[in-house]
Amino acid sequence: MRVKNIALLAVMTSVCVGIQLTPRPPNIEFTSLICFLTGFLFGSFFGASVGALTMLINGFLSPWGFGATNIPFQILGMALIGFVGGVYRKSRPHAGNPSVRWFSLEVSLLAAFLTLIYDIITTVSYVMLFDVNIIVALLSGAWFTIVHVVSNTVLFGTALFGLVRIASTVLGEQPWSYKKEVL
Amino acid sequence: MELQKRSLIILCLGWLASLALASFVAGYYYMEFQNLTGLLEKYENVIMRVNICIDYRELNETVVWYNDTIVPLGCNLLQATETVALVNSTYSPAQQASFVDAINGVSNHGAYFWMWQHWNDVQEKWEYGDVGADRYRLTNNETVRWRYELPSYT
Repeated sequence: MRVKNIALLAVMTSVCVGIQLTPRPPNIEFTSLICFLTGFLFGSFFGASVGALTMLINGFLSPWGFGATNIPFQILGMALIGFVGGVYRKSRPHAGNPSVRWFSLEVSLLAAFLTLIYDIITTVSYVMLFDVNIIVALLSGAWFTIVHVVSNTVLFGTALFGLVRIASTVLGEQPWSYKKEVL
Repeated sequence: MELQKRSLIILCLGWLASLALASFVAGYYYMEFQNLTGLLEKYENVIMRVNICIDYRELNETVVWYNDTIVPLGCNLLQATETVALVNSTYSPAQQASFVDAINGVSNHGAYFWMWQHWNDVQEKWEYGDVGADRYRLTNNETVRWRYELPSYT
């Protein structure tokens, strides 16, 4: 990994951790958005790395307490979101700018699905720790999941397009075509 | 064609997510229903059901019924009313009973007062209560009514 990329990874992780540790309503978070964006801009591996590192650090510094057995599951869930960000860009048609509405709809739906998977993955750790039925655990936290999924769906749908454009302008690259991974 | 397939997969994932969320919510409420039903069965011997009517007809033509209200066994009318409405009352040591000043923000005003009645099953008519609401112990399946009215004695 080149020094420039290590610095980039550190900066993106710091941004994520900073926002993650900022006081906010439960289950409304911006980490998924930034990890997905990072994956989209710099590739799957890079996005997954930012997600994993962020959740590793968050597990130790979170104001809700030490993550303990939850940490590996949070790492896995957030790494998946970052990874899919890269996969999503790769899967896009190589030429032409996308329609804002279509792009926003696609990423919203992806966000809903990925957030749900993240919540299911992290519930598994709870199930293992307290030895409860996974269905009961999922149903008990239904409203937390709803808040998480809906907030991420809205966030991705409204913010990702603009963030990609801004980041691409800053980086001086064409945002809508797939480029080689930074790593 | 490639775009269509890709987009279709994403749409399916979104549809799956919404289906799962809907199932979660339905499951959550089913679980809550089961828990509460179980709790109700557990405490069946120490609860009773009463029908409470709050009649605002003299004020705004509104009558509100709270049927099958679950209250503790031996509970008095004031306590039962407080489970369904916001009640302001004043305790009178001389009468050793409470006087209801307001229900749900509607206060006694001028010659209008909150009066309570209970339904006489045998004679099939409403009868005015002769004690303060906190002195009247309800029985299972009893029907009571609060009326905002100009009392007949005025």
